[in-house]
Amino acid sequence: MKGTKRLEEIKEIIRAEEDWEPVGPTPMPHVPDLREWDRRLLKTYKPFYAPFCDLCCLCTYGKCDLTGTNRGACGIDIASQQGRMVTIACCMGMAAHAGHAAHIIEYLIEKYGEDYPIDLGNQVNVECPNIRLVLGMKPKTLGDLKKAVEYAATELVHVLSSTHTGQEGDPVDYESKALHISMLDHVCMEAADVAQIVGFKFPTSKADTPIVDMGWGSVDKSKPVILVVGHNPACSTEIIDYLREQGLEDKVEVCGICCTALETTRYSDKAKIIGPLSRQLFFVRAGIADVIVADEQCIRTDLTVEASKVGSVVIASSDKACRGLEEASERPADEVVKEMVEQRKHFLILDHRKAAEVAVKAAMELAPRRKEEKPLMTKEQAQEAAKACKACRNCEQVCPNLLPLSEAIQKAAEGRFEELRACFERCIGCGKCEEVCPQDVPIQKMFQSVASWETWKCRAGRGPVMDTEIRKVGAPIVLGTIPGVVAFVGCSNFPEEIDEVAEMAEEFARRKYIVVLTGCSAMVAGMRKDKDGLTIYEKFPPDFDAGGVVNIGSCVANAHISGAVMKIANIFANLPLRANYEVIADYVLNRVGACGVAWGAMSQKAASIGTGFNRLGVPVVLGPHSSKYRRQYLSRKEEDDWTVMDGRKKELVDTKEPTPEHLCIVVESKERAMVTIAKLCMRKNDTPQGRQIKLTHYIDLHKRLIGGLPPDLHHFVRTERDIPMFFKREVMEFLKQKGWQRKPVLSLPTLIGTYPSKVSVDAVVGGK
Amino acid sequence: MALPYHKVNVLTGFKAAAEMKDPKALAKVIKKAQRPLLVVGPKALSIKIGEKLFVEYLVEIAKAGNIPVCATAHTKGKLEELGLVPDSTYDIMEIINHLKDPEWKGVKGEGNHDLVLFGGFRTDLGNQGLSTLKHFAPHLRTMTLCRFYYPNATFSLPNIRKDEDWKALLEGLVEELKTS
Repeated sequence: MKGTKRLEEIKEIIRAEEDWEPVGPTPMPHVPDLREWDRRLLKTYKPFYAPFCDLCCLCTYGKCDLTGTNRGACGIDIASQQGRMVTIACCMGMAAHAGHAAHIIEYLIEKYGEDYPIDLGNQVNVECPNIRLVLGMKPKTLGDLKKAVEYAATELVHVLSSTHTGQEGDPVDYESKALHISMLDHVCMEAADVAQIVGFKFPTSKADTPIVDMGWGSVDKSKPVILVVGHNPACSTEIIDYLREQGLEDKVEVCGICCTALETTRYSDKAKIIGPLSRQLFFVRAGIADVIVADEQCIRTDLTVEASKVGSVVIASSDKACRGLEEASERPADEVVKEMVEQRKHFLILDHRKAAEVAVKAAMELAPRRKEEKPLMTKEQAQEAAKACKACRNCEQVCPNLLPLSEAIQKAAEGRFEELRACFERCIGCGKCEEVCPQDVPIQKMFQSVASWETWKCRAGRGPVMDTEIRKVGAPIVLGTIPGVVAFVGCSNFPEEIDEVAEMAEEFARRKYIVVLTGCSAMVAGMRKDKDGLTIYEKFPPDFDAGGVVNIGSCVANAHISGAVMKIANIFANLPLRANYEVIADYVLNRVGACGVAWGAMSQKAASIGTGFNRLGVPVVLGPHSSKYRRQYLSRKEEDDWTVMDGRKKELVDTKEPTPEHLCIVVESKERAMVTIAKLCMRKNDTPQGRQIKLTHYIDLHKRLIGGLPPDLHHFVRTERDIPMFFKREVMEFLKQKGWQRKPVLSLPTLIGTYPSKVSVDAVVGGK
Repeated sequence: MALPYHKVNVLTGFKAAAEMKDPKALAKVIKKAQRPLLVVGPKALSIKIGEKLFVEYLVEIAKAGNIPVCATAHTKGKLEELGLVPDSTYDIMEIINHLKDPEWKGVKGEGNHDLVLFGGFRTDLGNQGLSTLKHFAPHLRTMTLCRFYYPNATFSLPNIRKDEDWKALLEGLVEELKTS
C-alpha cells in the first residue's frame, strides 16, 4: 500500500500535473499493485516447473533435499524454490540492464548534463512507451531516464529481498515478483537504449540503416585489430571517436562480438560484427585481435587467460568486470601502452577516453610485432593434431550441447572434416571439450580449419519502431490480416546449427509476418546466404511492415519491441499508456498477435527479457536449453477455462478458444518451433479474415513440417468463416470427425472484469 | 549412484533412477503397467543403431507391447511412414504438463498413464522433463530407452557404449514384450 507521502513523491517524479494523458491506476507500481493481474494471467498460464537441482544450498540450514513433497529446513517446497530461483535469475538479468543503463546515463550526463533532451527524431513521438506505461512519466531529458532507473533499482531491492530465507513461500507470488522485476527490466533497457541513441546519435526515425560486414572473415588482418566485447558502447564509441580525430579510421580495424558489436555498428558502419557470443572463444583463440576491450555482460570470465595464450592484450573498461587487473585509469597513456606492448600486460581502465587512446596506440604498436602470432590452423595441421585423440569421449560428455565430438575428431584424423565442420556449426563456444582432453587436442583451434571465412551481412540496429509505421500496421495486426509480429531475440546457445534462426526468420518474413530481431539472434540471422549469396537483410525490406525484417538492435533494444506492441494499443487503439499497465497488457494479450522466440537463450538477462514480455501478454517460444531456466507458463487447451469478458456487452463468455495457448514454452526442434510460433500468433480478437490467414500458415506449416492437419485445429476454428478456403474441404471433414461446434467471436475480448482490479471494463474501450 | 553420460545431467540430489539392462526385467515393468505410454522424441529419427533407426525399434516396442504412442516434435510423419499412427501429438513439455495431472484422462481417454516410456530426446531436455514428473507426478513411473543414463527417471538404461549392446537390449525387449 502506498501512503500519502509516497503518492505525493510519485506525483512529483512523474510530473502528474502534465496533461499529456490522465494518470492511470498504477503509477510507479510496487509488487502488490499488479499482483492481481499476474494471478489472473497465471490462472490460465500456470507455472510449470522442471527443477534443475533437487537441493537448496542457499543458507546454512542446508543442503536441503526438496525432492517431491520434502520441504527444506526453512519450510520451503520444491515449487516455491523454483519460483525463487526464477525470481533470482530475473533479478540478475534486470540488474545487468539497470547497471548498464545507470552507467551509460551517468556517463552521458557527465558529458552533456542532466537536461540533455530526448529527441528520437520526427518519426518517434512516443519516445519511451515502457517508461510512460509503467511509471506514468513522459521522459524529456537524460535526468528523467535516471529517475526511471532509480525507481527500478528500488523495486529490485524489494524483490531481491523476498528471496532471502524465510520470506516469500508461494510459487505464484514468486512468479509475480519475477514478472514485476522483468517488467522493470524493459524500463531499464529502454532507458539505456534511448540514452545511447540520443547520447551517441545512433540512427533513429529511419528504417534503412546501413548494411554492415559480419563474420571473422570480414576483418582485414593486415591492419591493427581492436576487438570490443560485451554490451556497453561507452568505450567502443570513444575508440571510434579517437580514430576519427586521429585520421586513423581506415587504418585500424574495429570489430565486435555480442551486443557491443551491434552498438558499435550503429555508431560507425566501418566497424565489423564478428558474430554472436558463441564465437567469442573461437575468435579470441584465432589471435586476430591485437587488443581486446571488454566492457560488461557475457564476456568470457577467462578472457585474459585466453588472450595471453595468443599474445593479445585486454583492457577491462567496466567496474562490473575488473577481472583482478591493475587499474591504470590515472596513469599516463603512453606508459600503459608501453607495458602492454612490451610485457603483454592487461589493465583495468575506467576512463573510457583513456582506454580508447590506449587501445588504439597499443593495437598499432602490437600489430607489426604480432604478425607471426596470427597463423590459423590448416586442415593438414588439424589432421595431425587429431591423431592424438584416443577416443576416450571425455569431450562429448562435458559438451553442453551434447555434440559428437569424439567421432568428429577421429574422422578429422583420417582427413575427413565434414563432421568437425558440423560440430563447429553447432558449437556454443565454451571450450570445455579441450579442458577435459587428456591428450590436449586443440579442438577449438581445429575449428579454424573448417570454419567458413566468408563475409556475411547484417543491418545495423535501428532502435524504436516509428510511430508512423505503427499507424500503418496497427489495424492489420489487430485484425489479424498481418498474421503476426515475430521477434527473434536472445543469445546463441542454439541446440543445432547456428543458422536455424535465419531459416525460421526467413520462413516468417516470406509469409508476410513482421520479423524483428535483436542481440545475437539479429547477428546469426545474417549468417546464412541463399544461392545468389544474399542474406536475409539484403532480401527483405527493413520496414516494420508485412514481410519486413528489422534489426532493432542489441539486447537493450528489446524494449523497443515491447514498446512497439504498447504503441499499437496507444497509437492505433487510442488507449492511454500513462500508468495504465493492466489495460495495455490485456490489450496485447487478447489483440496483438506477437510472439517472441528465444531459440538460444542462455543468460539471466534473457530470462528477465522473456518474463517481461510475458507480463505484457506476449508469448515466448524457447529452445530446448531453456528448460534449464526451470519454469514455463503453460495452459492445457482441452481442460482450462477460456472465459473472458465481452467488453462490449460486459458479459462473461466462455470462448472455448485457447488463444494464445501458452505464455512461455520450450520446444525441441525448429520444426515444432515454427508451428508453435504460427499458433501463438492467434488472438481472440482476430477477424474471420485474419483468422483464416493465421490458420492458413498454421495448417501449411504443420502439414509440411510435422505431417497432416494439426490435431488441435478444432480448438482454433470459431466459425466456418475462419476456415481457409484452400483447405476448406479437408478441414470441414476433420471438424466433423471431432464433433466441432461453433464458438463465439468477440470483437472486444478482455480479462478485465474477470479478476479483482481497480480497472473497469470501460477502460478497455479505446478510440478504435 | 550411476553417473549420466552427459555431465550436464548430473544429479544434484538423492533420488536417482534405478539402472536396468535386463530386457526381461524391463518387459516385466511394462507388462505390469495398466496404462503405459510411449513418448517418442525427434532424436529417434536420426540416431542409427546398426542398420536401423532408433525410431524403428520404438515402433516395434509400441506394437509388441500394445503401448499407445505420443509423437512429439516432428516425429509424427515418420511414425506414420513406419505404419504406426500415434495416439496423440504434443510437444514434450505439453505431454508432461498433462501427465503430471493425476486426473488427466490420458491419450486414450481412459485415465492417466501409470508408466511412461521415453525415447529419442536430447538428454538434457529429457532429463528436465523427467525432473518435472519425478517431483510433481508421484502417481506415475517413468522409463527411458535411450542409450544414456537419465538420473531423473524411475527406471533408466545404463550408459551403453556399444551399438550392438543397445541393439541387443532393444531387440530383447521387443521379444519379451511379444511373449504373453
